[in-house]
Amino acid sequence: MGYVFVRPGMSPAEIVKAVRELPGVAFVSVGMRDAGQSDYKNRLRIYDLKTLAPYYNEMGLFAAECHGGARWHVGIMNRRESPFEEIAILRELMPNVLLQTLIRETNMWGYRPYPKNIIEYVVERVDIDVWRCFSFLNDVRNMRTVAEVVMKRGKLFEPAISYTVAPWFDTKYYLKVVDDIVDLCGGVDEIILCIKDMAGVGTVKSVSELISAIKDKYPDLVINYHRHITDGLALPVLIAAVKAGAKLIDVQEDTLCRFYGHSPILAVEAALREEGIPVNLDRRLAELAVEKVRDWIRDYEWAESPFKGFDHMVTKHKMPGGAFPSSFEQAEKGGFLHLMPAILKVMSLYNQIVKYFDVTPGSQITWVTCSGIVNRYYKEFGEEGVKRVISLLEKFVEEKKQDFSAMSPEEQEELLQLFRNAPGDFKNLILGHYGRLPVGWPDEWVYKSAFGDAWQEKMKERRDDSPLESIPDEDLEALRRQLEEEIGRPATEEEFILYLMHPKDAIDFIKFREKYGVAPLVLPTKVWREGLKKPGDRVDFELDGKPYTIELVSIGSETDGIIHVVLKVNNKTRVFEVATPRAKKAEVRKATKPNEIGAPISGTVWRIGNPKRGALKVGDIVHKGEEIANLESMKMENPIVAPFDAQIVEICVKLNQMVEEGQLLFVLKPIEEEKA
Amino acid sequence: MPEQKIKKVLVANRGVPAVRIMNTCRDKMIKTVAIYSTPDRLAYHVFLADEAVHIGEAPPHDSYLNMDKIIRVAKERDCQAIHPGWGFLAENADFAERVEREGLIWVGPPPNVIRLMGDKIRAKRIAQRANVPTIPGKENIKTPQDILRWMEEDEVEFPIMIKAAAGGGGKGMVRVDSPEELPLAIEKAASEARKAFGDDTLLVEKYIERGRHIEVQILADKHGNVVHLFERECTIQRRNQKILEEAPSPSIDDDLRTEICFTAVRLARELGYYSAGTIEFLLDPKTKRFYFLEVNTRLQVEHGVTELITGLDIVSLMFDIAEGKRLPFTQDDIYPNRHAIEVRINAEDPRTFNPSFGTITRLEIPQGPGIRVASGVYEGAEVPPYYDSLIMLVMSAGADRYEAIRVMDRALSRGLRVEGVKTIAPLLLSIIRHPDFISGNFSTRFIEEKYEELVRAFREKTTDDEALKIAQYIAEVSALGPQPWM
Repeated sequence: MGYVFVRPGMSPAEIVKAVRELPGVAFVSVGMRDAGQSDYKNRLRIYDLKTLAPYYNEMGLFAAECHGGARWHVGIMNRRESPFEEIAILRELMPNVLLQTLIRETNMWGYRPYPKNIIEYVVERVDIDVWRCFSFLNDVRNMRTVAEVVMKRGKLFEPAISYTVAPWFDTKYYLKVVDDIVDLCGGVDEIILCIKDMAGVGTVKSVSELISAIKDKYPDLVINYHRHITDGLALPVLIAAVKAGAKLIDVQEDTLCRFYGHSPILAVEAALREEGIPVNLDRRLAELAVEKVRDWIRDYEWAESPFKGFDHMVTKHKMPGGAFPSSFEQAEKGGFLHLMPAILKVMSLYNQIVKYFDVTPGSQITWVTCSGIVNRYYKEFGEEGVKRVISLLEKFVEEKKQDFSAMSPEEQEELLQLFRNAPGDFKNLILGHYGRLPVGWPDEWVYKSAFGDAWQEKMKERRDDSPLESIPDEDLEALRRQLEEEIGRPATEEEFILYLMHPKDAIDFIKFREKYGVAPLVLPTKVWREGLKKPGDRVDFELDGKPYTIELVSIGSETDGIIHVVLKVNNKTRVFEVATPRAKKAEVRKATKPNEIGAPISGTVWRIGNPKRGALKVGDIVHKGEEIANLESMKMENPIVAPFDAQIVEICVKLNQMVEEGQLLFVLKPIEEEKA
Repeated sequence: MPEQKIKKVLVANRGVPAVRIMNTCRDKMIKTVAIYSTPDRLAYHVFLADEAVHIGEAPPHDSYLNMDKIIRVAKERDCQAIHPGWGFLAENADFAERVEREGLIWVGPPPNVIRLMGDKIRAKRIAQRANVPTIPGKENIKTPQDILRWMEEDEVEFPIMIKAAAGGGGKGMVRVDSPEELPLAIEKAASEARKAFGDDTLLVEKYIERGRHIEVQILADKHGNVVHLFERECTIQRRNQKILEEAPSPSIDDDLRTEICFTAVRLARELGYYSAGTIEFLLDPKTKRFYFLEVNTRLQVEHGVTELITGLDIVSLMFDIAEGKRLPFTQDDIYPNRHAIEVRINAEDPRTFNPSFGTITRLEIPQGPGIRVASGVYEGAEVPPYYDSLIMLVMSAGADRYEAIRVMDRALSRGLRVEGVKTIAPLLLSIIRHPDFISGNFSTRFIEEKYEELVRAFREKTTDDEALKIAQYIAEVSALGPQPWM
C-alpha cells in the first residue's frame, strides 16, 4: 500500500496535513462521477464503474469523486441505482479511498434551494468523506449549513469557488470569495479549496495568477484545481496550476476522455513527471484501470453527446462540461438540435446581461432561458427570426455596451419582450431566491422584460439574504408520512432521503425497484439496455452468493398489446407477459375524493339501495349510516353505508356488476347541516 | 346391516375437498367421477378424477348445488355413492335424503341427524338434553326488542352474537357491541342466512370474550360404535372463519381434554351419529368452562391435523362406514403421538382479506420432512371468483408444538410460492412467528388485536423471487428494446 496516503477515518486536519506534506501532487479521480456526467449523460453504471475500484484502492488517489452532482438524480431516474447502494458497493471494494461528493450548497443534489432542516437531515446521514461544495453564485453564505454539519461530523469540507474568465470576475473578486470561505471555515487547516473551472476556460495566465494570489495570501491553503477540457487547452493549464501551487488535480481515465470531461490521468502524470513534479500515483495500476474501461465503455456509445469535438467557443458561451450532454439530450428530444449553435451564441451574450456562473442550477436556468428565446424566435419567424434576435443582442451588448437608451424604440420594445416567457426559475433568480448575484443585480429593463407592468412591485420583493434564512423548515414527519402513504409501507431512511431530494422521481424509483428488484445492479450494461436478443442468449449473475442464469427461449408476437416472452430461469422455463405501450388499459374509475364512495373489496354489486326503501337513483337523499349498496364477495355480504347525509350525484355501477377494490360506486354531494 | 361395496363414487365438490377425497379413492381403488362448472373446465379436480362431467354454469346454484343434475349424473355413470366433501351440499339434509332415496350411498352422517343439527336451535336443545353445557341465548329472534328483552331477563351484556339458525362457516354471524348496531346487524345476518341457507331464522347468544374454539373429531359406524379422535384447536380466525388449526389443543390439560372428548362422544351417541363429524365447543379461558357450539355433520376442512396426529385416514374410514363396515379399532387403540398444524391458503389479500382471483402464474408447493399439502390448484390454474377462496391446505407435524411450528415456518417461508393471486400466506407466517401464538396465548380475536403487528412483519422474499423480478425486467426490455426513460 505504498501510495495510499489518506484514507477514510482520518480527521480533516490529518488529511490536509498529509496533502501538504506530499512532495508533489496527488490526483482526484472523477472517473466515477464527472467523467460520466460530462460525456455520457451520467449513464455510466456502478456495475461497470466498480470494476475500477480494486485499482483505485491501491493506486494512491487523494479521493474518488463518485457521488453527487447530477449523478444522484440521474441514478434514481435513469440508471435506477440509489446513491446509497453505490456508496456501499464502493466502500466494500475500495476501503482505502476517500469518497467524494459534489454538493450545490442549498440546492444540494437538486435544482432549487432546500430548507435548512432538510439540508441538515440529509448531510448528517450520507456516508461521504470529502464534501466538495460550490455555489453557482459564489454566495458563500449559502454554504454555511453544509459546512457546519460536515465539519461537525469530522468529515472533510472542500469549498469550491465557481470559476470562469470574464472581465468582471477578476482576481480581486475571487480573493474576496476565498476570504469569505476562510472566514466561514475558521481557517485553512481543516479544508481544501477547490477552484472549479467547470466550463474549462481558465488560461495558463489567468489560473497561474489566481493560484499565486491565493497562495500569497494563504500559503497553507491546499488548492485543488478542477478543470474541464472543453476548450482543448487543459493540459498546459493544469501544469501551470501545479507550478503555481495547486496540490490536487482532477483527472479521469484516458479511455473515458471525450470532449467535455477532464484530462487523461496517464497523460497528466507523464507531463508532470517530465516537468520534474512528483505525482503520488501507482502508474501501473492506473494503466490497468485505463485498460479496464475498454471492457465496457463501448456499451455507452448511445449516451455520448451528439455534438462532438472540442469547442474553444466555450470561452464565450461558458456552458459547463457537466451540462453539455443533458442540454444536447434535451435539444435532441425537443427536435431543435440544429438550433444549438444559435443557442450557444445567445448564451454568450446573455451571460453578459445577467452575471452569474454557469453551473447547476445556474446552467439550467441559462439553458432553459436561452433555448426558450431561440426556440420562440424560430417558431415565430424561422431562421430569419433567430438571426434577428442574435443581431439585436449583439448590437445591445457589444456595440451599445448594454446602454438600453441607446437602442431604437422598436429594439427597446423587442428587448422588453425578451424575458417575458422566461422560466420561473429565471425570475426567482433575479428576485434573489437563490441568494445574491455575484456582481450585482441586472439592469432595470431586465425586470421590465421579465415581469411587464408588475416589474416595480416584483423588484420590491427582491431579497438580499441567503435562502438559508428565507426558506422555512419543512415538517419532516409529515413528509415521511406522505412517502409511506405513496409506497404503502414504512420507508427506509435511505428511501426517505431520496424522497427529500426528488419526491416524484424517488417514488418512481422505489416502485421500479419493488417490481424489478436489483436488476440495475446485477445485469451487464448490454442486457440492461437491450435485453437478450436471440434465442439461446443468456446472462449469468449472482444473487445472495448463489448463481443464476437467465436464458432467452423466445419472444412472441404482439397480440392486443401483449407480448409473451419465454425465458429459462435457472433451467426452469417460464412465460413472462409484457405489456407494450399499445396494451389496452381497462380504465377503472377509482374513488379518490372524500365524496366518492369506492368498493371496499372486490365483488358483485347485488343490491343498490336497501330493502327498506328499495333501489336508489341519482338525486335521492341518503342519510349517514344508511346502507346504499351491498357487495357480495365469496358468499359474504358487505354493506356500503353512506358516510354522511348526502344527495346521490352519480351511480357509477350497474346491478350485478363485478367491481374491483377501490372502484368508484357512488359520487355523493354532502348536505350541509343547517346551523341552528 | 348388509355391507354394500362402493366401486365408484361421485365427488360432489371442487377444489381442495374434491382433490382430497379423490386421492384416498385412488388408494382404495374406488373410481371417481368429478363434476365441474363451466369456469372449472380445466380445474385440478377434473383431471384427478377418472371421469368428469360438466354440470352447469358458474353460479353454484346451477352447478355444485344442482341436486337433480348431480344425482342424475351419479346414476348415469353407475356410481354407488356420493361424497359431498365440505361446503356446497355437504350439510344439506334434503340432498342426503334424496341420495339415499335414489338408492345411492350417502358418504356422510344420517340425513335426519344432518337436519336436526342444521337447526341451531334444536341442536342446542338436544345438547342440553344430553347434559352438554350450552351458551346462554335466545332462539327465534326477529327484532332488536326481542334481543334487548332477552338480555334484560337473562342478565346478559354486550357483546352478543346474532347467528343464522341454519348457519355455519361464519355466514350469517354478526357480532354486536351496542344497541344501535342491532337493526343493521339483524338485517345483515338474516339476509346472509337467506342467501346461504335459504332460511333466515336467527338466534342470539352471549358472546364469550377471548373464547377459544375447540372441537372434537368423532367417528362412528352404523353398528353403534363411537370413538373420538381427540380435539383440534381452531381459535385463530378472521371474520369468524378459521384459518389455522392445530391438534392437540395447547389450551387444555389432559383432564379437560378427557372431559371434552367424552362429552362429544356422549352427544354423538345421543344423536345416533355415524360417519365422521365434529362437535364444536367454545372454551372460556377464564373459567375453563366449555360450551357446546354446534355439530358439523360432515368432513371438516381441518380433519388433516387429526389424521396427522393419529395416523388414520378419516376419508377412507368414511367410505368404510358408508359401506356398513365396523370400525376396525376401539377408543383404546387410538393415541396421538404428534403435534400437527394446518393453515388455510386462501386466495385473499393478506391485509384486507379481499378475495383475489385470476391465474396462478407461479406455484411452488412446500415439501420436505413433516409437511403435508392438499392443493386444489396447479400452476397455470384459474381461481374463479364464484366460489370459496381456499386454494390449498398446508399441514405440518412434529414431535411437539414447537417442532410443528418450525416445520410450518419452513413450509411457508421457504417452500410455498404463489404468484398471480394474492394469498394470506404472509399473514399466516407472521401469526406462527408471533410470540403470543408460540406461547399459546391467543383468542378468537388474535388477528384483530395483533393486526398491525402481524402486518408489519410481512416480508420474507427469497432469492428466487428476486431472480424472477430480474427476469421480468429482462423479458420487458428484450421485447420492447431500450426504454425512453433510460
